[in-house]
Amino acid sequence: MTMVRRVAASPEREPLGGRHSSVVFSDDRQWAEHLGAFVRGGLEKGEQVQYFADTTAPDRVLRALTDAGIDAAGAVMRGQLAVPVAAQTYLAGSSFDPDAMIGLWYDAVEAACAAGYRGLRVIGEMSWGARGVTGGDRLLEYEVRMHHEVFARLPLTALCFYDRRLMSGEYVSVLASAHLTHQGEPHAEPALRVAPLVDRPGLLMSGSAGYDTRDAVAAAAAVVSGSPARQMELDLAALRHLDAASLAMLADAAAGRPGDMPLKVRQAPSSLRRLLQLFPELDSVVEVLDR
Amino acid sequence: MTTYGSTSAGTGRQTAFYHPALFYGTDDEYVDGVGTFVRDALEQEHSVLVAVPGPRLPLLQAFVDDNREHVKWVDMRQAGRNPGRILSMLQEFADRGGDARTPVSVVGEPIWVGRTPAEAWEATRHEALINVAFAGRPVSILCPYDTALPEDVQAQAYRTHPVVGDSGAYRASSRYADPHEVCRDCDRPLPEPPDAVVVPFAEQDLAFVRDEADRWAATAGLSHARRTDWLLAVGEAVSNSVRHGGGHGTLRMWCAGDELVAEIRDRGVLADPLAGRRRPDPRGTTGGRGVWIMHQLCDLVEIRAVAPGLVLRLHMGLV
Repeated sequence: MTMVRRVAASPEREPLGGRHSSVVFSDDRQWAEHLGAFVRGGLEKGEQVQYFADTTAPDRVLRALTDAGIDAAGAVMRGQLAVPVAAQTYLAGSSFDPDAMIGLWYDAVEAACAAGYRGLRVIGEMSWGARGVTGGDRLLEYEVRMHHEVFARLPLTALCFYDRRLMSGEYVSVLASAHLTHQGEPHAEPALRVAPLVDRPGLLMSGSAGYDTRDAVAAAAAVVSGSPARQMELDLAALRHLDAASLAMLADAAAGRPGDMPLKVRQAPSSLRRLLQLFPELDSVVEVLDR
Repeated sequence: MTTYGSTSAGTGRQTAFYHPALFYGTDDEYVDGVGTFVRDALEQEHSVLVAVPGPRLPLLQAFVDDNREHVKWVDMRQAGRNPGRILSMLQEFADRGGDARTPVSVVGEPIWVGRTPAEAWEATRHEALINVAFAGRPVSILCPYDTALPEDVQAQAYRTHPVVGDSGAYRASSRYADPHEVCRDCDRPLPEPPDAVVVPFAEQDLAFVRDEADRWAATAGLSHARRTDWLLAVGEAVSNSVRHGGGHGTLRMWCAGDELVAEIRDRGVLADPLAGRRRPDPRGTTGGRGVWIMHQLCDLVEIRAVAPGLVLRLHMGLV
């Protein structure tokens, strides 16, 4: 569980949902456009900007910014812009660990604010998620947790870059749809979408959950079990189906939370209600609010 | 020939598994044979479950009269409409019937006049599996058989019950057969449907298959509530095909009179014939949860081990 620390927040922050966006693109021109607009906005607002590169060489990032008319070299010189490489920073350890990663964001924002910037603005190339990095299977969990555990508490704005040339379409859809706002190319609705709730700790799950979506359900379960929030809620209004194994994963996660607060479920699909009739012993960990 | 008492099926049943078939022709014979079994069990302070067709319940309740509240009464036409879910009910009762020292007595009548041949075969499979599930346990299960049932159904009762009798006397069944052999014999050829929607699937298709099964059932006229059951059952079956049946399978769906049928065919093997016939821990990792759910939600589940794989037919009535 992440320790909650206080960092001075800017009163001019964008709405919470808009500060963690997915960007899907499929060519260099689109990449450069999103890059330039986002970095320019951050520099103009007095924020520190960091681009965490994965497959793109840092020099190329700086050239693209320069080509877009941004004084990238000057920004680097005064410490307002940096282009670190993921493999040498947050992926430098033995595995990707969302808990450690969330802690790093607190450190990074604290450092940016201590240096006099009004906040931190970052871009992350997420292509490593499709490369078999140890712990990479926790990327969806991480993206969902970021909303309540990081963006709700820190003056941080981030774009997650998803390059279609480097990731499968289905995986891009799953990860991009975990963000509350989206830029760039449209993506297909995944079989199961897992995303944070806008206004309270919890998850939105939509689509159809079964054996094929077990990884997404496992991510949702990890968010439920690991959340520091006292109460977690699921909004299932747009979930057409939930199978028994998915319910079992969520029930396990709920049972593993500290305290004895059941996982609250709103607008449960009929399949979940029927499963709870078959397995009433799950009532103590999964509570349907609007029976 | 071994005989087991002159008037009651209860003699000698306390210490070991006891599974007699009682053949009856009249209400009096029914009450005499079944009622006496229940009364004896109550006198010996057994936990007692009576699961018989609803119309027969009042006969037995009147017979035990003041002791009726000590018996769990179940309408088998409802609880056992799908024969594949009866064994779970019996095991759950036996498991919860008290501490391990409390003997358990059950009356289970899974086949009645009016059962379809397909239902009777699955009920015969259930009868055979009782012998596997309860082997070595101090449980007595009396199974009444109406002599108005087809002869082939009655003949199978001699193969699935170690002891057979009527209101007169009980004796060892000379035709009793190995339960696994009976189960193999229950794998009767399934009739080909005249027309079916065919949906091949692999893992990446499962969400589409679920949606397609739901859409098709809605178009066929299945009510919303029953469509939930249909979708859960079909969803569990196709998931099992991907997980255990070679990674892919074929779903076929068709209407047959006043019911819908979903057939799931894959390359799996049902290694444990008792899979899905015991109530699972919903959060457990042991197998059988999906098959158990299918049995609970469907009106009939036909299971066939066929070269080279497994065929499940899930039946759901439109009314």
